[in-house]
Amino acid sequence: MSLMADEIVRFSSLLRIAFNLLTGRDYLKRKKFREKKKLISVALPFSDIVYGFPDLVPVFPIRTHVFKMHKYLQYLGSGANIFGWKNVSNFLGFLKNLGIGDINKIIDEIIDNVIDAVNEKYNEMYDIGIENGIPSDFCYGIKSLYGMHVSKGKNYDAILNYTIRCSAWNKYHESLKTINNTSKQIWIDIPPRNVGDALELLVNNLYDGISELEKISGNTYDSNILRNHFKVANEIRRSYKSILYEISTSDFYPCNPATFSEILVILNNSFQDYNSNAIRYRDNMTALVHEIKERIRNKIGMDVSNMPRILITPMFGGWEPKTHEIIYELGGRALYADWDVLLLLEDIPIEKISDPVEAYAHYLMNATTNGIGCDNNTLTDSYFRIAEKLNVDGLIFIQLFGCHSVSNCYPMLKEKIRRELEIPSMALTFNKIGENVEQVKTRLGAFMEMFR
Amino acid sequence: MDNLELLSEYTLFLKEEKQKGKKVVAFISHDNIPEELLDAAGFIPLRLMFAGNDELMDASHDYLSPSTCAFAQSCIGLFSTKPNHFRFLDLVDYFIVSNHCVSDICASEIISKYFNIPRLNFYLSYTKNENSLKYFKFELLDFKDQLEKIIGIEIKNEALMDSIKKYNNFKKKLLEFNNLNIRGSEKLRILQKAILYGPIFLPELESYTLKFSENQIQNSKDLKDVIITGCSVFLNDYLIELIEEAGGNVISFDTWIGNNYYYQIFEETVINLTKNPFDLLVRRFENNLYGDHSVPNFLENKVSQIEKICQNYLEKTGKKLRIINHIIKFCDHISLMSAYLKEQLQEKGFPVLNLERDYSRANRGQLSTRIEAFLEMV
Repeated sequence: MSLMADEIVRFSSLLRIAFNLLTGRDYLKRKKFREKKKLISVALPFSDIVYGFPDLVPVFPIRTHVFKMHKYLQYLGSGANIFGWKNVSNFLGFLKNLGIGDINKIIDEIIDNVIDAVNEKYNEMYDIGIENGIPSDFCYGIKSLYGMHVSKGKNYDAILNYTIRCSAWNKYHESLKTINNTSKQIWIDIPPRNVGDALELLVNNLYDGISELEKISGNTYDSNILRNHFKVANEIRRSYKSILYEISTSDFYPCNPATFSEILVILNNSFQDYNSNAIRYRDNMTALVHEIKERIRNKIGMDVSNMPRILITPMFGGWEPKTHEIIYELGGRALYADWDVLLLLEDIPIEKISDPVEAYAHYLMNATTNGIGCDNNTLTDSYFRIAEKLNVDGLIFIQLFGCHSVSNCYPMLKEKIRRELEIPSMALTFNKIGENVEQVKTRLGAFMEMFR
Repeated sequence: MDNLELLSEYTLFLKEEKQKGKKVVAFISHDNIPEELLDAAGFIPLRLMFAGNDELMDASHDYLSPSTCAFAQSCIGLFSTKPNHFRFLDLVDYFIVSNHCVSDICASEIISKYFNIPRLNFYLSYTKNENSLKYFKFELLDFKDQLEKIIGIEIKNEALMDSIKKYNNFKKKLLEFNNLNIRGSEKLRILQKAILYGPIFLPELESYTLKFSENQIQNSKDLKDVIITGCSVFLNDYLIELIEEAGGNVISFDTWIGNNYYYQIFEETVINLTKNPFDLLVRRFENNLYGDHSVPNFLENKVSQIEKICQNYLEKTGKKLRIINHIIKFCDHISLMSAYLKEQLQEKGFPVLNLERDYSRANRGQLSTRIEAFLEMV
């Protein structure tokens, strides 16, 4: 892990994103109790319309929890408040280079926190989910999310639910009503297919959702605020795509490939609610792209031209986080691009459509019809599209135990990839973080042999 | 309880219908498929309502993960292995891909894709409000278009209205039959056969109703009365036998093959006052409050419905109903809510057994023990 720590401290923007991800609880407490803002629980990257209300704060529920090592992160945050993030980052890098034992240990602990704390918390929430009635045969994501709401659900003023093709997902949202003192639920139905005037219905459903948010907020919806947010959201998406497609496909990385995978993991997690502050997140993303490009320009980093590119997907419902590290040790580089598979990194078309709600409806309908898909044929094409776009040498498909939706497209995908891309693929089963690391190592070892 | 005779009769029936030039449209048996539209277009609707076994489930694992609903696995297994008495599946001309749940989508899509059966689409919203009803109508019209492209002629509103009336009358007769006080296994056998055949079974159903109305159970005080909710008990399933062997008697099937099907009826006045038959189908979707597809009120609707059934039964017979919540392993809808359904009903004083199982034979002993213990305890 120290290998990654060494690299990550050099990216101050990434440190900021990670810090904001992990110290969400304090930030959100301040927003809720001092600034009297309302918290809206969101999951998957569906936070955008909440940003139409300045007094509402979207939050991916894991971020309301207290993470281990929080104390160190507080020190780091305090230091950053006084000296600025860049100076703190440079200072940490400097100390690291000196090889001072204790300080090195603290830095490692901080970075370990960034990397491990979220996953550790996920496992804790998973157990709470099962203890509170979610049957063990549901996927990791659902069990953990339910646990998060059992544990901290009282902090939310509302839960924003979008229906998607996964029936377990939709039922999970309903099941949140069984939690004592649970928050108000706001439902936005995304029609499964674009038939008839389905798009118009989606616009109406979004407006209905907005009027529910108005009731929570107490303020009237203002289209200019939402339009401005969508501009920010699109900038975030462009930065994200730039990291995915300009950097990850290149032969020279600004850091070692395992660290690069970590960056993608942190982005995958934080993109869901933009760490509750879209402008701050946009600035950090812009800076991150800049820092990465600067490092590459200055030839700081690593030649990865001989390392096969392995796409690992889907990981948003749960996956073994050691996977990319193992792949790196076996001579490969792991890439994560779930949100673009589902077309959630596409621009919200506000340049073409003046009503932001209508523009967002187009964005969601496109993701539903062509990304997530109403069936596995479409979803298979989505995975295929990204594998092709990233020009990967192999694909590892995470077969999530209890996933009856996405996981079931692997047989189709395997066939299509073998036939049309002529690259190897492998399914890796997953139930809970840390449960099968040795098995994962063995299977990845066999898979990576193919590239030698 | 192998329904070999029924299945071979059904094969003959389908063959005869095919010889008349009719085409067969199969679908995974959920409660929102507009079979009246299929009927009006001259198709034979074929509900996949057959229980699985180890071989069928195993055969599906080439196509999807074993952690998928055991019923969906078995449906794929049927097409993959085509057991002798299921040869009629070779007669299927089209398959409907629908989204009752995601396993419905996956299994239907796999059947269509890998067994070369042209696909029809019919999807539903998950929520139920004004907009989802409008969406349902869009899907109905799209489905009508898909069918018209196949038959090459327009499906007239009059023909659809006739089919709606025909199915409505059939469902009323099923409800009448369901209200008879007879052994659950006997009742289920007739209900399954009737729902498989559809309204063409009506004369036979009427004669069964007449026959059984004269032979109802007179003294049932030794029987432990049960309501089955959750997942359906499909053809060839041994579950009902286990319940009866344990001294139970199922008086109500609160499932797809049961209440969800024949409670979806219209009053005559509603039919007569509605000009557009599609509005009737939309209305039926709206009124289907107890089906498990929709969110976010499934749980509270289901609890209040079961509570009402149990209370009515207590008032009518002085007997308490035991509730068996039948959960087919990996069922998204029933399984996820099972702990909460049980908790809420037990708080109201109703005994509930959450009976989770797949179709493997090895489960039989364990299921039997659990059912016996539950019925004994209550």
